[in-house]
Amino acid sequence: MTLSLNLVVGFGGLLSLCHAVFYGIGAYATTLLMLKAGFGFVTSVISAVLITGTFSLAIGVPALRFRGDPFVLVTLGFQTIIFTIMYNWIGLTRGPYGIPGIPRPSIAGYQITTLPEYLFLTYIFLVMVAIIIVVIYKSPFGMALKALRDDEMAAEGLGKSPFYFFLAAFVIAGMIASIAGSLYATYVTYIDPTSFTLDESIFLLVILLVGGAGNLKGPIVGTIFMILLPEALRFLGLPDTVAPNVRQILYGLVIVILMFFRPQGIAGEFKLK
Amino acid sequence: MTLLAQLLLNALCNAATYSLLAIGFGLFYRSLRFFNIGFGAVYVVTSYAVITASQALGLPLFVSIPSGLIFAGLVSVLMDKLIFHPLDKHGSSSGVLLVASLGIYIAIINLIALIFGNEIKILSKGMEPSYSLGSLIITRIQIIQILVGWLTTILFWLAIRKNTLIKAIWAMGKVPELIRALGLPYNQMRAIVFFLSALFAGLASIATSFDVGFDPHVGMGALLTGAVAVIVGGVDIYWGWICGASLIAFLQAIGVWLFSAKWNELITFALLIITLLLRPHGIFSQKRRAEEK
Repeated sequence: MTLSLNLVVGFGGLLSLCHAVFYGIGAYATTLLMLKAGFGFVTSVISAVLITGTFSLAIGVPALRFRGDPFVLVTLGFQTIIFTIMYNWIGLTRGPYGIPGIPRPSIAGYQITTLPEYLFLTYIFLVMVAIIIVVIYKSPFGMALKALRDDEMAAEGLGKSPFYFFLAAFVIAGMIASIAGSLYATYVTYIDPTSFTLDESIFLLVILLVGGAGNLKGPIVGTIFMILLPEALRFLGLPDTVAPNVRQILYGLVIVILMFFRPQGIAGEFKLK
Repeated sequence: MTLLAQLLLNALCNAATYSLLAIGFGLFYRSLRFFNIGFGAVYVVTSYAVITASQALGLPLFVSIPSGLIFAGLVSVLMDKLIFHPLDKHGSSSGVLLVASLGIYIAIINLIALIFGNEIKILSKGMEPSYSLGSLIITRIQIIQILVGWLTTILFWLAIRKNTLIKAIWAMGKVPELIRALGLPYNQMRAIVFFLSALFAGLASIATSFDVGFDPHVGMGALLTGAVAVIVGGVDIYWGWICGASLIAFLQAIGVWLFSAKWNELITFALLIITLLLRPHGIFSQKRRAEEK
């Protein structure tokens, strides 16, 4: 998910706060297709990707008329709006009750049931997505995005249309997040809206800011760091009642300190402008 | 019909509180031009400061409320002195300041949750006395909300027109370099902006906390309401903020009347997005030439 958000934030230079909803739409679409329409796993994933792509197109078109603060607010707005719909449209999503009993994936007749099998499946997807992403990062498309990020007017002068490039990045990012959503739904076999909140979107953004954005290493470093940080904090031996809050406090302070000393993150190349 | 009238009366109270939030947010957004998520933290700090003063220390309300407000004001000024002003001097952009403010927000509200716990607290004890206006009901705290909200709004407007320092703060956003060139005390003015902003947030917070209670996480919602009100009304127009706040309150009332309260947040953000698409400078702003932006 961070590799895809990197396309929008690192390469595009736009702080998007609605990535979690693409994750969520992917999860819900896959679930509803598998449970209500009886689609198989692979068909559901592909359909979910297309559905999410449509949503990201619909969100991207209005959002990308702005840059900077208004863009952040519009994406935040869509995050809230779609989350509210996910939470309250009980007829479709069962809202806070969630949807249990999601079947585990079955690919070409092979049913995935154990954890190692699942891990293997996830890593295959990760590798496939990573290859696609690397190709995009290094392609003329990726270069054009970086040019637009660094100096939009100059890049536009050279003939790169900001709107179409940013929109393409936004939609591709959304579609990849959808795959993560499909994997999540079939792994946990239960989904509810609380996995797809604004906090989740903020977390993804923070991973990119901490690890660095705009290149390949950054998101990977960031993800590893942010996932391992709570585990490392376990060694402090804090009582369970205070541990989550302390973790969050440290997380907040890390962000502030980072902005002072290394706004490009640990391994990134994009400095927040 | 009575339901709608009751909802509109509630909207009047909400508009008063939202106006306070809008002024608090607008003060630094207009004068210092960055989105400060720490505002949400200050909002929450005020209520916890008041409840500590009144329940833990046993102070009477007329002492604990001002103490809470002043404490929140100091926290706000401290945030600026330690974080935002240094980053600003460093040459950091508004994006960096936004992220830093997010960091300090997360740190502060989790500190509060650590000390006080996550459950909802309420400042008043027992049921609020209520009064009938014909077939409508209004509680005492709602009356206070309306009075405090609208009175403060008008008083501040007068301050902008009459008081030189506040006028200078008002003008700060356009050409900050000119402040120093004119020999005005920039550092003190920044501190005043943050202190005043906290006072407005605090008043709104206390008013709401007496009414429906609070928990460590209500700050984000308050911040976003204030932000939407300011952006919808127009960043540079005081009465625009008030109209923006009232519009949100009014639309939410209609939303509750037609559907239910659970769509309130969606209504606020839908208003934001529609306004940004149709009138990106805000409903009451004039379109400016590119050089003026």
